[in-house]
Amino acid sequence: MSTPNSPSMLQALSPSDSGELEQRRVLFAEIDASCRLPVLLLFVSGLTWLLIGTVLAILASWKMHNPGFLADWAWLTFGRVRPAHLNAMVYGFASESAIGISLWLMCRLCRVPLLYQWIIMLAAVFWNLGVLIGVAGILAGDSTGIEWLEIPSYASPILFFSYALIGVWGIITFRFRRQPHLYVSQWYLFAALFWFPWLYSAANIMLVLAPVRGTVQAAVNWWFAHNVLGLWFTPIGLAAIYYFIPKVIGRPIHSYYLSMLGFWSLALFYNWNGMHHLVGGPMPAWLITVSIVASVMMTIPVVTVAINHHLTMAGHFRKMKYSPTLRFMVFGGMSYTVASLTGVLMALRSVSEVTHFTHNTIGHAHVGMYAFFTMVVFGSVYYIVPRLTRREWPSAGLISLHFWAAALGMFLYITALSVGGVFEGLAMDNPDIPFLDVVKGTLPYLRIRTGAAFLLAIGHTAFLINFVWILARLWRPYRQATPMIIAATQPESGPIKP
Amino acid sequence: MNYGPLLFLGVFLTLASSWCGLVLIPQLQLWKSGGLEAVKLEKTGEFYPPMRSGLAEHGREVYRANGCIYCHSQQVRPKGFGGDFLRNWGQRRSVGRDYLRDKPVMLGTMRTGPDLTNISLRQPSASWHMLHLYNPQITSPGSIMPPFRFLFETRKIRRMRSPDALDLKPPFAPPPGYEVVPKPEAQLLVDYLLSLRAVTPLPETE
Amino acid sequence: MIILWLIFIGSLVLLPGTALLALRWAVRRGEFHNLQKAALSIFDEEEPVGLVTDHFPGMEIPDANRRAPRDP
Ligand code: HEC
Repeated sequence: MSTPNSPSMLQALSPSDSGELEQRRVLFAEIDASCRLPVLLLFVSGLTWLLIGTVLAILASWKMHNPGFLADWAWLTFGRVRPAHLNAMVYGFASESAIGISLWLMCRLCRVPLLYQWIIMLAAVFWNLGVLIGVAGILAGDSTGIEWLEIPSYASPILFFSYALIGVWGIITFRFRRQPHLYVSQWYLFAALFWFPWLYSAANIMLVLAPVRGTVQAAVNWWFAHNVLGLWFTPIGLAAIYYFIPKVIGRPIHSYYLSMLGFWSLALFYNWNGMHHLVGGPMPAWLITVSIVASVMMTIPVVTVAINHHLTMAGHFRKMKYSPTLRFMVFGGMSYTVASLTGVLMALRSVSEVTHFTHNTIGHAHVGMYAFFTMVVFGSVYYIVPRLTRREWPSAGLISLHFWAAALGMFLYITALSVGGVFEGLAMDNPDIPFLDVVKGTLPYLRIRTGAAFLLAIGHTAFLINFVWILARLWRPYRQATPMIIAATQPESGPIKP
Repeated sequence: MNYGPLLFLGVFLTLASSWCGLVLIPQLQLWKSGGLEAVKLEKTGEFYPPMRSGLAEHGREVYRANGCIYCHSQQVRPKGFGGDFLRNWGQRRSVGRDYLRDKPVMLGTMRTGPDLTNISLRQPSASWHMLHLYNPQITSPGSIMPPFRFLFETRKIRRMRSPDALDLKPPFAPPPGYEVVPKPEAQLLVDYLLSLRAVTPLPETE
Repeated sequence: MIILWLIFIGSLVLLPGTALLALRWAVRRGEFHNLQKAALSIFDEEEPVGLVTDHFPGMEIPDANRRAPRDP
């Protein structure tokens, strides 16, 4: 599928030889055309996993307050549906969308068209296969029993193989870049592309293939699980925010220096955080202390990012009314701050004593994975897909509906579980309250959570309809005179140079 | 300007440092201090942790496959930290050595249900566990633990009632002429639950 | 276990060594100049500073693309 101009694999590793390619200026339209197939494939399969994950989520949530619901089939028992939900969302929806966004951003930032589309297409097919076998395996009872790594050992190598293809592609594109200045998003993307395979392979080897002994497993487990969020999704989410906010409002990031500080402090501190999931557990005390300290240090990258985004947006908040992408991005960026700062609190021993083991943790995980990362994914998709298809989104109303359903759903979800979790924790630490009463006390919050899940599902359906609709328009010649993307680049729009 | 190699190295080093710190060093430390070996107890001359029976080991697989870990932890926090001691979930804190034979280690991160580290001491009766697994509402009305009816078989009584059949009272009883018997998985799972205890005093817990 | 040791010792020697080399290399090449230019690298003639590039389908941002960016 490579274009006649695209160099051979060997040349790719030493791009200076391909002098002819260097001459031509690469236009965004060219990049978009080259990304069309692979990125759309990733987005469409990601969206499919989002819907599967949503169904599993509603099932799991419903079962928590109605334990008898669909309880007669082994593959639908709560203890299988819940990890199936997590893996469908994390490896299916979130990772595939993350990869799609990264590819497009990488190409744009490096100013090169997407080379070797077939690598990505192949990788996407295998990735889907891996997740499908993995999720089916979990439902069949083959889960590894290790949180965030439940995908059985017969499926994880497929994921790894697929990932290797993407990694190779990433390095080639990076070597080929025409834009000599690295933008902060590239730092994040490149780091994430490199961190993930290390995390994933190290954790799989040390836990599943040749397990280490005893509680070291727990250490590896949480080193991995926390870092998937911190070193895979967070950098990609931040890369997107750092690109899209300035891009949408047409104004450079407030302080590039702060953004660099944010990157390196995140890289330094985040990966030491994981052990705070084991506070009070049978682990060496120093290990947990180190993690708590690192967790507190996380305030530095978080506050720098928050200040930077806020100052970039200052005076432009009004544009959120007009731009779907900006809305989702700003919501995501603010949630990142909330997620990280509450995370710092929860790592403290005295807070963890209460909130650990409660639904509060689940609420917190959703601030990170949904209110931050997933909202950023939505925002990015709303920006990227019209450029790939050269079509406008068919319905502005559905975009609004999606945003408000997601925002309100998340607000309900997080408030219910955070508050409910604290009450649950306080009750659990008080032996005068019988355990069953602690359980019954959580029921109202669990029901609100199910309500929130339905709201989120409404948002996802609106997203789905718009997405299918815009894809359907691909089969029709484009009739509107000036699609947004073209309008933006027409001279009569008269942009004033700074 | 080419930041590439710099970027690569920085990114490599940061993760490498945490990997060494959080993953390798604990491993080496445990290994060096003998924390990765079973100890011979002076009083009884037995090794700790004891080998689990083959049946219980298979029951562990049932526990893993059905995701009990998403509602139950298996770790007792130190005295004075949380309500673990007060709720009588353990008489001493859990230590690394308790988990030496576990693959995977299922410490758990949720306590939607009670901690199970010492469940065999709290509920030593196999028939209680059978009833509870068949339908938690029988033993614990209002529980949100799911029933694991698929681990049981409802069948017609032939000649004699099976000795394993559950002693079910209405409204949970099967139709007349039928009985509910545990499948092998349920038996294994209960064997596993009855093997769960960590009370033996160890040098590091005293 | 032996493999773990090898990786561990290897990391101890190699990691700080390469880090120092990389830093020396980077400083010599003047990698830490001109940070602000990088911030502008996402804009070009095609999509210059001041151009708003996203809005709801069918909705116009009033005058957004005709004004110089307003810097507080
Ligand atoms: C949805 C969460 C959930 C899941 C999944 C779950 N449990 Fe429970 N479990 C509970 C709750 C809540 C209780 C407390 C009320 C009760 O006794 O039923 C409990 C209680 C128990 C008890 C009694 C503890 C005591 O101190 O009396 C045992 C034993 C138990 N569960 C075993 C299991 C096993 C084995 C599995 C997996 C096959 C499992 N549970 C899966 C929620 C769950």
